[in-house]
Amino acid sequence: MRRSGKLSLAALLVFCAIRADAAEKGLIIRAGDLLAQPFIDATSAGKVTPAQPVTIVERRGAWVNVDASGKSGWVRLLNVRLEPAVAIIGPNKAAPNAKPTGMTSLLRTGSSGRTVTTGVKGMDEEDIRNATPNYVEVALLDTMAVDAADARANASRASLTERSVAYLDKKRGK
Amino acid sequence: MTRRLLYRLLAIVTMLGMTTQAIPQFGGLGGIGGLIKGVKNAKNLSESFRNISEPEEIKIGGDLAGIILGVAPLIQDSAKQRYVNRLGRWLALHSDRPDLPWKFGIIETDDVNAFSMPGGYVLITRGMFEGMRSESELAGVLSHEISHVVRRDHIAALQQSLRNSALTGFSDYVSGGGIVGSVVKTAIINAGKDIFTRGLNKSDEFDADRMGVVVAARSGFSPFGLVGVLQTLSAAPDAKGNALMNRTHPLPIERIDRLDRAMGTGMDALALADVKVPSFEQPKIPEAPQQTPVRKKVKRKT
Repeated sequence: MRRSGKLSLAALLVFCAIRADAAEKGLIIRAGDLLAQPFIDATSAGKVTPAQPVTIVERRGAWVNVDASGKSGWVRLLNVRLEPAVAIIGPNKAAPNAKPTGMTSLLRTGSSGRTVTTGVKGMDEEDIRNATPNYVEVALLDTMAVDAADARANASRASLTERSVAYLDKKRGK
Repeated sequence: MTRRLLYRLLAIVTMLGMTTQAIPQFGGLGGIGGLIKGVKNAKNLSESFRNISEPEEIKIGGDLAGIILGVAPLIQDSAKQRYVNRLGRWLALHSDRPDLPWKFGIIETDDVNAFSMPGGYVLITRGMFEGMRSESELAGVLSHEISHVVRRDHIAALQQSLRNSALTGFSDYVSGGGIVGSVVKTAIINAGKDIFTRGLNKSDEFDADRMGVVVAARSGFSPFGLVGVLQTLSAAPDAKGNALMNRTHPLPIERIDRLDRAMGTGMDALALADVKVPSFEQPKIPEAPQQTPVRKKVKRKT
């Protein structure tokens, strides 16, 4: 955990909320093993085939726990794409039993996403073509900038830990 | 008849007068002598982008940000705007251009999209912001946009777009000077509109994905956040709110595939537990007069 103290309870609730939200349907991209644990050298719990439908039970870093034709196991996040129709419906409709209550409902606010709403105008090619630059808004945006010290102090409060990571090559191989 | 003819003649003379008056204002562009001088001294607009300075980049960025903000203004929520600025600046500090005057903004539209402009401008739509599963996903999106700025992808695209333009006078644009400056500004804004509606090169997007996951990971976020976002996008290929994003980017599934090849399993150890984006729901604070007697009661009890 990268956040501690008061936030741990909140984090636990958030974790529960993520699990409740995760009634997403996906499709396997490439053939491979369904692993018993979220590690590359974990034992195989079965096979997955391209375009095989799966239900995402949990997301954990590079891995997702899926229910694949009745078998449960882990596959790489990068080996699953979401099934179109289900994701548009949204998690609330997909999981009617997971009624948010109390803290969980608060934490869910504004992050369930992918709901199709109307009312506010969208942003298409024509809008951009016809746009007149709004310099009042640009000036407002300028005033919202924070300096490096502010960003560092905030990251420190959030217990974000800097790490040394090298840039990736186009094809690093597996 | 004669009066009408007189008016016509007057109108023609006036027009001619305007034309001859306008020419000298174009300075280097006006007259044979000026034209030769202009060609000798002034660079073609496209060439001017070759060794662009940071203040020049920021100037262009402001004009391009104005386009997007002209379509969708900033959301009026200072807590959320401060949050993305602190997060965005923190991420940018882990890029190769930590000292740009980075600015981040959430803009008022249901559409799912994010934009960046030269010099450190990054805008994310409210529709996209609200669709984030976690802070790592938001960090992934912002880091992707930061990477475009770091790599100067828009500058290269502008250069490409204006390569056939005979316009000169970039310095007039930068100093905000006169008619030449405004002609150049219009050309840059129109080229910017091309970029926002047609997109950058596909390869720029793949490169920004690869750099973005590293910037996010360096900043203490899971590098798999961006992958989660791409999954969400892959699930809604026909959503109206994703139309512009889809038209200006390679297919999400293709981007996932490229990231998979580049990341392999080497970044697995950098994955972290996902933390949700704060809700920003303020707990309702009772008004002061109601609060006072409650406090007194508590004091008496203790």
